[in-house]
Amino acid sequence: MTTHTPDTTITTTVEYAPEQPARLDWAKHAPEVYKAMVRLEIAARQGLDHKLYELVKIRASQINHCAFCIDMHTKDALATGESVERILQLSAWDESRHFYTAKELAALELTEAVTVLTDGFVPDEVYEQAAKHFDEAELAQLIAAITAINAWNRFGVTCRMAPGHYQPGQYK
Amino acid sequence: MTTRTRLLDPAVGRALSALSKVAKQGLGDPALAELVVIRASQLNHCAFCLDMHLAIAREYGVSQKQLDLLAAWEEAGDVFDERERAALALTEAVTVLTAGFVPDEVYEQAAKHFDEAELAHLIGLVVAINNWNRVMVSRRIPPGGHTP
Repeated sequence: MTTHTPDTTITTTVEYAPEQPARLDWAKHAPEVYKAMVRLEIAARQGLDHKLYELVKIRASQINHCAFCIDMHTKDALATGESVERILQLSAWDESRHFYTAKELAALELTEAVTVLTDGFVPDEVYEQAAKHFDEAELAQLIAAITAINAWNRFGVTCRMAPGHYQPGQYK
Repeated sequence: MTTRTRLLDPAVGRALSALSKVAKQGLGDPALAELVVIRASQLNHCAFCLDMHLAIAREYGVSQKQLDLLAAWEEAGDVFDERERAALALTEAVTVLTAGFVPDEVYEQAAKHFDEAELAHLIGLVVAINNWNRVMVSRRIPPGGHTP
């Protein structure tokens, strides 16, 4: 941070907390598990709108507190033309509905219900609202996609994968 | 209650099955794998998964006592050994991510009982059953579809 005053320039360095090392390189220790995850990812995204897919990924990663996944999917969303505003408002989407389409809102609501299973079941209203906007096959893909990002979130958080190093499109 | 949809893309189904299979194989302890899978399914309220894995656990010879007390494993005295307890604590932390992170004590306790390869597969197994719990609960697949 640099502060300019009339007769002198004071430069101070902001000191951030150190980056925490990852706990475990799970893909190295379980390569066949990683391979199966990549297969799931590729299969789950088939037929889904890319923009919608990134919104779902970001929202689930917020709920599950996966820093690595938030880093990746916000960068990918920005790189593919998503607006900063829509990304920033996502953690409060229920209060900023006019930023999103009715279809996106139905998908976000389903994302929350499927992600927070431990609090209860997936409510009928939520499922039915999603079923209004997605045909049966598309809805099955959406459920698979929500499942897949939940899976990545679990590896990311448990193994403490460090955010900040991702380059857009790195794993494509 | 009626099933919402039975649809699941075959490629998604195959990938989910492959993940479960390789994770379980890599862990190398089928009885423990069932305890982990059943506990996650309890937390996620997946009736289909509970029905299926309770049957499989009995086949593997997991004791009825362990199955009865699994939902309260922390209070179950010596019904579960230290290794099982470490795996169950990790299972809970990895399943209930929304309540916080995976605590250091929980991770470290698991790392004491499992080497890195076992641990990577154990985490994979918890992820895999969380996947199944999600696709079954969301589609409201009723219990009873599995025959051992």
